[in-house]
Amino acid sequence: MKHVKSLNKKARLVEKALEEGKVEEVRAMQVVAGCSSTLDPGWEIDPFGGVAGLCQPMEADLYGCSDPCWWPAQVPDTLNTYPDWNKGADSAQRDWRLLQAVFPKK
Amino acid sequence: MRSNWNRWFRARQQKVSADAAMVGSELMQKWLKTSSIATIAAVVACLAAGPKETAAQTLDGESIVNSACSSCHKRLPDGGVDRISAMRKTPEGWDMTLARMMIVHGAEFTPEERQAMVKYLADTQGLAPEESAPFRYILERRPNVIETIPDEDLGTMCARCHSYSRVALQRRPKAEWLKLVHFHLGQWPTIEYQALGRDRNWWEIASTKIPETLEKAFPLNTVAWNNWQKQEKKNLEGMWQVVGRRPGVGAFAGTLKVDSDGGDHYAAVYDLSFADGKTWSGRGKSIVYTGYEWRGSSQLADDAVNEVLVVSDDGNSMAGRWFLESADEVGGDFHAVRMEKGVSDIIAVEPSHLRAGTSAEISIHGVGLNGPVSLGDGVSVTKMISATPENIRLEVKAASDAADGLRDVQVGKTKGTGALAVYRKLDSVLVEPAYGIARVGGGFTPPVTAQFEAVGYLNGADGTAGTEDDVRVGVMPATWSVEDFNEVAADMKDVAFAGTMQQDGVFVPAMAGPNPQRKYSTNNAGDLKVVAKVADGDGQLEGSGRLIVTVQRWNDPPIR
Repeated sequence: MKHVKSLNKKARLVEKALEEGKVEEVRAMQVVAGCSSTLDPGWEIDPFGGVAGLCQPMEADLYGCSDPCWWPAQVPDTLNTYPDWNKGADSAQRDWRLLQAVFPKK
Repeated sequence: MRSNWNRWFRARQQKVSADAAMVGSELMQKWLKTSSIATIAAVVACLAAGPKETAAQTLDGESIVNSACSSCHKRLPDGGVDRISAMRKTPEGWDMTLARMMIVHGAEFTPEERQAMVKYLADTQGLAPEESAPFRYILERRPNVIETIPDEDLGTMCARCHSYSRVALQRRPKAEWLKLVHFHLGQWPTIEYQALGRDRNWWEIASTKIPETLEKAFPLNTVAWNNWQKQEKKNLEGMWQVVGRRPGVGAFAGTLKVDSDGGDHYAAVYDLSFADGKTWSGRGKSIVYTGYEWRGSSQLADDAVNEVLVVSDDGNSMAGRWFLESADEVGGDFHAVRMEKGVSDIIAVEPSHLRAGTSAEISIHGVGLNGPVSLGDGVSVTKMISATPENIRLEVKAASDAADGLRDVQVGKTKGTGALAVYRKLDSVLVEPAYGIARVGGGFTPPVTAQFEAVGYLNGADGTAGTEDDVRVGVMPATWSVEDFNEVAADMKDVAFAGTMQQDGVFVPAMAGPNPQRKYSTNNAGDLKVVAKVADGDGQLEGSGRLIVTVQRWNDPPIR
């Protein structure tokens, strides 16, 4: 990190964790069962246990995440499993209300 | 099923247009109120007996597995079916497998066929009670559980996306565990270059070490399963005494009448009431899988409720959790004991704590209760209000010098160990859960609320709070508030946007979607400190927890 300078708050948090030797602690953090905290960053929780480091509003990049199977346990992947999940909801920012849960209960 | 879904979808679309005009917690409050009268989809949980269970009961699960699955899975010389015969799972696990066959491979089953197959597979290739025992929380859908994962490799490989128990509730030989790894990579190819994938030799670990570790931890053939298959499964018909809790509301008690509905299917009649006298009664249906997995679906007063219970080996008690069908985070403990000659048990004492120097009315709930009541030194019975074998109501007085701590309650020869706490002054208050999750909701995704409770503790013999000998006195009435958890949260004004903390300890999250009123138009997520203030005598104690208000999930299977 000698020759790289952090430009934003999130990067500074990572830099701070590095300096304090907390990288392993941060990356292996345990969260509530069924939640994901570690896929660059997590879906529910960021690697620091909060929400400030998440990609939000998540609608800004939701389909950029559902297509390459990021957080597939929480967000339906449109690459293989649920190709039509967001059909008719072309803009996540505008159409998020139309998105439905995918597990067929019956 | 699909046409029902479409009808509901259209109805929801009309509602969505109306919702669009409303914002934030106003909409969420409205939604929560209306959800109880089922304007949110009342999708009956597949595993509990639904209205068409009669058809499912008459279907032969084995024949359907053999015919429906064999078109893709080859029959083996030993009579088994390729892949399917080489694994064991819970009812929920098998149901998720069948759902995956529908989603990924286009398999078509009616709901009745699916239920019959789950029943057959869970009965013949299930988990023994001791195999599922450590992971009941995930089947019971208990919110805010932080798992203990004994193997770091498995934690990193599996539990960074979903719960560890999702894996630990399966049994396979090594070759089958390897196929599961292959399936993961094929279905979600980016798994290899996500965090904790790309930064190590992921494939080598995933394809060699992990299947070996999993086979060792969760093998297909076990003594426990062999023994369980030989054990006689119990008939659950009869009368049961029930005690349970609804967090934020209090304890309930009453009776459950179980009648046979054919085979392992039962009809249930609940006659329950809360401590304040409000009744919570109704009828339900249940199926018992694998000889001990009770999955019920009931209508209790205005609530559509599911039950996930374990039947004890002797068939005389059932314990687990109930939860609302439309919001599984809302639920609580449930304990039933069979009313039968010769069976006696104290299930609970309510309220479970008494302040020294005061009088109170208490109820002892149980079965076969008969004989003199003893509450230990310093606590005397001043009046016997009523007594049946299932419920004894008493007026009691704790002397001002009664000893602090838990005491046994005795009715005749029946003992309730540590069933009543006596205290004169609380030493600390903890907020439970210490770390909770709520989710914003909107559109088709209901909000997920978070229920907190303030629990009073005594320091115990060492005089220090937060040590192992602390005595849990019980849930205390509290005044609730939230604060920004840290500087970042304060900067983002999380308290103002994330939702509302109610005085029953329930946090109601705000509306989903980008919020143009927030910095970066971010979601109404938040990182909050939950504060409970408990009045104790002339003083006040304070406890706190952390609440993450986060985004919705759309992939929401029964085992998360």
